[in-house]
Amino acid sequence: MLKVENVKKAFGQTTVLDGVNLTVNPGEVVSILGSSGSGKSTLIRCINGLERLNAGRITVDDFDVAKLKELAEARKRSGTVFQLFNLYPHMTALQNITLAPIEVLKRPKAEAEAEGRALLQSVGLGERMDAYPAQLSGGQRQRVGICRALAMKPRYLLLDEVTSALDPEMTAEVLAILAKLAAEGTTMVFVTHEIEFARQISNRIVFLEKGVLLVDLPTEKFFAADGGLAQPRVAQFLSKMRKD
Amino acid sequence: MRYTEFTPFDLWLLAQGLGVTVGLFLVTSLIGALVGVLWGVVRFYRVPVLMQVITFVAEVLKNSPVLVQLFLVFFGFPAFFKVNMTPLNAAIITLSLNTAAFVYVIAVSSIESIGRDQVEAARVFGLTRWQVLRHVIAPQALAFSIGPLTALLVNQLQVTSLISVIGVMDLSKIGANLNLRTLKPFIVWTAVGILYYLAAKLVATLGAKLEKRLRAHSAFRGL
Repeated sequence: MLKVENVKKAFGQTTVLDGVNLTVNPGEVVSILGSSGSGKSTLIRCINGLERLNAGRITVDDFDVAKLKELAEARKRSGTVFQLFNLYPHMTALQNITLAPIEVLKRPKAEAEAEGRALLQSVGLGERMDAYPAQLSGGQRQRVGICRALAMKPRYLLLDEVTSALDPEMTAEVLAILAKLAAEGTTMVFVTHEIEFARQISNRIVFLEKGVLLVDLPTEKFFAADGGLAQPRVAQFLSKMRKD
Repeated sequence: MRYTEFTPFDLWLLAQGLGVTVGLFLVTSLIGALVGVLWGVVRFYRVPVLMQVITFVAEVLKNSPVLVQLFLVFFGFPAFFKVNMTPLNAAIITLSLNTAAFVYVIAVSSIESIGRDQVEAARVFGLTRWQVLRHVIAPQALAFSIGPLTALLVNQLQVTSLISVIGVMDLSKIGANLNLRTLKPFIVWTAVGILYYLAAKLVATLGAKLEKRLRAHSAFRGL
């Protein structure tokens, strides 16, 4: 279980997360919606230990990310896919994927590479595994980013606006892969602006507004008139996003 | 009567001088690079106190003339610390430290040029600071630093000529001796200049080749 308890985070005078509570059970797909600056990315960065909490507690399978000794274990259990891919530019697609399994999990190189190849093939990049990130399109880079996270066999996949930097065609490429992962039962925390897609794959949708978790409802309920839409801010957000 | 004609032996003398210059250059560059990179790593790990000391020492070395440093080491150290100092030792110490100071600056800026995003990604996947340095930062920082490093080394090669003033028999000292004997400064210094030029050109060419290889991943491969 991934547990976020009463988490507060501020950058200087700006409060970004103001007492957030969230629980993600194994097998669940939870989408986090909210306008830009609402704290979605910061929440992900707190879960994977890139930001220090000002208050509250985050545990990944009972490993506290605020404790240095437990953070390593917590990080092994979660895999992050970044908005801007964050690939290592001096490594090929395959090397990007095998670095952490070889160095952190101490897997034998041949084994890690075989798995990396299989992963790349599963996302349609079998032909491009020796290409450097600069030689790949945005959609291809993000698919490598997803494979890199999956290679660590994480229990929780953290996706931070993974399609925001992509055009609609490339977005479709990436979403197709995520849909497949969701169907296979991968646990995901999915920060996104793709509302329709979130609706299709999520078990639950939460809505963040100015660092506060306004709504946390099962997907159907979230889009129901007496559920999430009863919140004026959510209704406003959804109608705006749909117009675009 | 003095003998002012050139002899074949003068060529041998010049070659010896060139050997001393190149040898000293290689040794001090190697020591300087190792020390400079080590200082850069100390800064990467933000080791308290040591980091401030290094920054201060590097500042002093960068902002004072090599000649003054050389005199301080050659004349000052024996007087103050009561140690023996041969011209060669003084030259090696001074040039190595001076190179180290500039390598340190290049190392720090190369390390900082690597995007935070990649470092964060590597950390999230559980790599230790050392593993991040070794696998993500160092290969890219090295490729990035070859350009400025080559420029530095070409300059440091010329700087070695300063050590002739404390009596090391390098290329410049041989040139000065030949000049005194033959009284043909134009020919002597042209020959010496060409030898420095060729050595520097070799350093620059090797640097460019290495840079091209290390930057293969970002090279534009044509349409």
